[in-house]
Amino acid sequence: MSGDNVKKSIPYTVPIGPVHPALKEPVMFTFQMEGEVVRSVDFAPGNTHRGIEWMGMRRNPVQIVHLTDRICGICGIVHSLSFARAVEQIAEIEVPPRADYIRTIMHEFERIQSHLLWAGVAAHELGFDSLFYLAWRVREQSMDLIENITGNRVNYAIVQIGGVRRDISDDQRPLIEQGLTYYRGLLDQMKNVFLNDSTIRMRCRDHGLLSYRDAQLLCAIGPTARASGVAMDVRHDYPYCAYGDLDVHPVLPPQEFGGPKGDVYDRIIVRLLEIAQSIDIIQQCLDTMPAGEILWEKKMPKLLLTLKKAQGEAIGRVEAPRGECMHYVRMDGNEAPATWKVKASSYSNLMSWIPMLKGEQLADIPIIVASIDPCMSCTDRVAVIQGGSAGFLTKEELTRLSQKKTRRLIQCR
Amino acid sequence: MPVDALWTAAGAVLVAAFGILAALFLLGIDRIVTARMQARIGPPLSQPLTDLRKLFSKENVVPANAIPWLFNAAPVIALASVITILFYIPVGGFPPVLSGGGDLILVMFLLTIPALALVAGGFSSGSPYATVGAQREMVTMIAYEFPLAVVIIAIAWKLAASGIPLPFTLASIQAYPIWGLVGPLGMIGALILFFVLLIVTPAELSRIPFDTPEAETELAGGILVEYSGKNLALFTLTQGVKTVVMASLAVALFLPYRLSAVLPAPAIIQPVLDLLFFLFLVVLVAFVSVSLVRVSMTRFRINQVVSVYWMYFSLIGIAGMLLIIADHLLGVA
Amino acid sequence: MVRLPMVPELLRQLFTKPATNAFPARYLPPSVTEFLSQVAQGTAAITPPVPVPPKFRGKIAYDRESCIGCTLCLKVCPAHAIEFLPETKRVRIYVTQCIFCSQCNDICPEGSLHMTPEFLLACENRYAETQIVE
Repeated sequence: MSGDNVKKSIPYTVPIGPVHPALKEPVMFTFQMEGEVVRSVDFAPGNTHRGIEWMGMRRNPVQIVHLTDRICGICGIVHSLSFARAVEQIAEIEVPPRADYIRTIMHEFERIQSHLLWAGVAAHELGFDSLFYLAWRVREQSMDLIENITGNRVNYAIVQIGGVRRDISDDQRPLIEQGLTYYRGLLDQMKNVFLNDSTIRMRCRDHGLLSYRDAQLLCAIGPTARASGVAMDVRHDYPYCAYGDLDVHPVLPPQEFGGPKGDVYDRIIVRLLEIAQSIDIIQQCLDTMPAGEILWEKKMPKLLLTLKKAQGEAIGRVEAPRGECMHYVRMDGNEAPATWKVKASSYSNLMSWIPMLKGEQLADIPIIVASIDPCMSCTDRVAVIQGGSAGFLTKEELTRLSQKKTRRLIQCR
Repeated sequence: MPVDALWTAAGAVLVAAFGILAALFLLGIDRIVTARMQARIGPPLSQPLTDLRKLFSKENVVPANAIPWLFNAAPVIALASVITILFYIPVGGFPPVLSGGGDLILVMFLLTIPALALVAGGFSSGSPYATVGAQREMVTMIAYEFPLAVVIIAIAWKLAASGIPLPFTLASIQAYPIWGLVGPLGMIGALILFFVLLIVTPAELSRIPFDTPEAETELAGGILVEYSGKNLALFTLTQGVKTVVMASLAVALFLPYRLSAVLPAPAIIQPVLDLLFFLFLVVLVAFVSVSLVRVSMTRFRINQVVSVYWMYFSLIGIAGMLLIIADHLLGVA
Repeated sequence: MVRLPMVPELLRQLFTKPATNAFPARYLPPSVTEFLSQVAQGTAAITPPVPVPPKFRGKIAYDRESCIGCTLCLKVCPAHAIEFLPETKRVRIYVTQCIFCSQCNDICPEGSLHMTPEFLLACENRYAETQIVE
């Protein structure tokens, strides 16, 4: 404020986190600021590591499916689905078609409630609490439906290796149809209050830019990548569950909003349009769901025996609300898996914070951080520190380190 | 005269008490009304009192990096100065306690003191969040002073041009409401000026969309991040009393009407009626300028705050002032 | 042109009923169990909680008579909340450890385990009678 002769302000450091009202999940940010502008950013995740993979290596797959439910509160079913798919590939279990459809329906319900939760959180970060309350209020309808189908609002416990544990009965159908009608009627209002609001546009347009090239180079996935124009969606590229029968295309920001620019506003657009897509998918599934079994093997002791004898390795991948979620499982004839690695969707999106945040103002940090929908509970796994100092790993070093790890995994039992 | 001094002192105590009670009442009404607008139940009306009681009972923590004397003095200065402003504003339809002692220009200067005390408190907190918040508060202050000045000068000019003595004193503004002095063109100008004053109010009170100094999600509380206990209670009370001050100022400048002038009532009830009507007008102004605005928008960035005030609302205020000038010249000619 | 589409919605909501599900009582009673017994007698009022759907996974119920002591439920409990008592060949379930997944219900060959709709389970003593099912 002292005039034009002070062109360079003194740089200072602002720590945000691990605990901060701007962050919904703990992650340690360190910003180098000049005035109100961010010059560089560094972050350190790892604050919500709970040792889930360690727990998993001491339990059989039927127990692990319930453990995966609790990796993240918002992504309720994606971890169970990817783990189940990996184990089903190893044990060569075929899932009955009706179970696939029920899995798809729960998957899309979870996407609806996750995107609505994110919309509310983004509004809160901007200071617009009324939208926060509105979004979470309409989310309650999907939570009630989920509770009706699975028995609980958050930890669904509906996925089982080889199918699903509960069926959608005929008297639950009208409730689901009612919920879908409610959401269809509401979607226009949600689009109106989020996308036509001048103050939201003022805050979000042209901020937090992630270019198409950067999104590809940093391996961004999910709505973060789709908002930058990268048309990738696991449901479209590698169909699983019932998506082979449905017609799912990646949702990109349409031309009426100016096409994909890769800013925060585009990410809001993509997530709201994905809610509309999910409603259509659920309706299609309800209409075309075949009758039949819901479990590959109803007798659990037989299932446990089959899983104990299974050998091999596989990757299960699904499209979580935040991107692609992968589980790598290796079983070698014991009850517990030999190796289990969870690659959550937010893990791939974290590096895109760096180009997004450079040059932005301090006031935009919360909304940009929230715009990739970071789910640190999914992401934090083991962090091994060697030497205690930060450094850079080049491509050759990364390749060498991954080859070393692969050799170690192959040798250990 | 000692008797006069005694009466003034008694009036000051009464006005200070009214200010604090009205502050708690306004804060409570604001929370209930915003909650109902967001489809929530909201706290009971006595919640600000409960909050203050709790804050006074908590420990007053002074950070190790802080400047203790400034850190502890800032809230006291803020509250004292904002109560002092109440002595110059006609509250409840009564003439100001210290009428003759000061006028609108003094009120405008006094309004900067609580903000400066906040800034001093922020800088002396020794936290990067508080420093950034204090910088933002300084910038916001620079931004909104200009439209505020335009409003005040326009009204005072109109009074002076109409030949009313002492145009800047609130007593004369109260005696001659602006609506009665201007023709139709001037009415539009006065409405525009009223609108600008209502828009300056959220920035004075650090409310959304202009609450960048205390942004909860960005700066974890900004200026007030290190404050706790009795200091935080005094700052909260300051914000409440400042709401009363700004709303009273708006009512005194633009809606200086007394119910007893319209409704016939016995002399003993007239002051009570006036007070209640004044309170009603203050609540109305606070609802429109603080509560409704607070729930319907996002927070602005600091550069957007500056451009909104310096470009848009200054120009709008100047347009209102020009309309009043034009109306006067047309009326004279 | 400044557009604020939320404003009409907010003004409308000012006059509609709030969407909040109220707490059972306005203020926390000094003793929760005493308050609940007063409600049962009819001397205290309670805002009824939102009803749970059928097949809600609440507290587990155990039928001692039909249990045959096969210990299959121990094999599938992810939280290791079930303890086998060899002397009586029955199990004991610790509700504080249970994660309410109902996997044990699925595997039990005799159908001795069900989930009840009970969810008000908070207690300060980990080993209180309400927290152990046997």
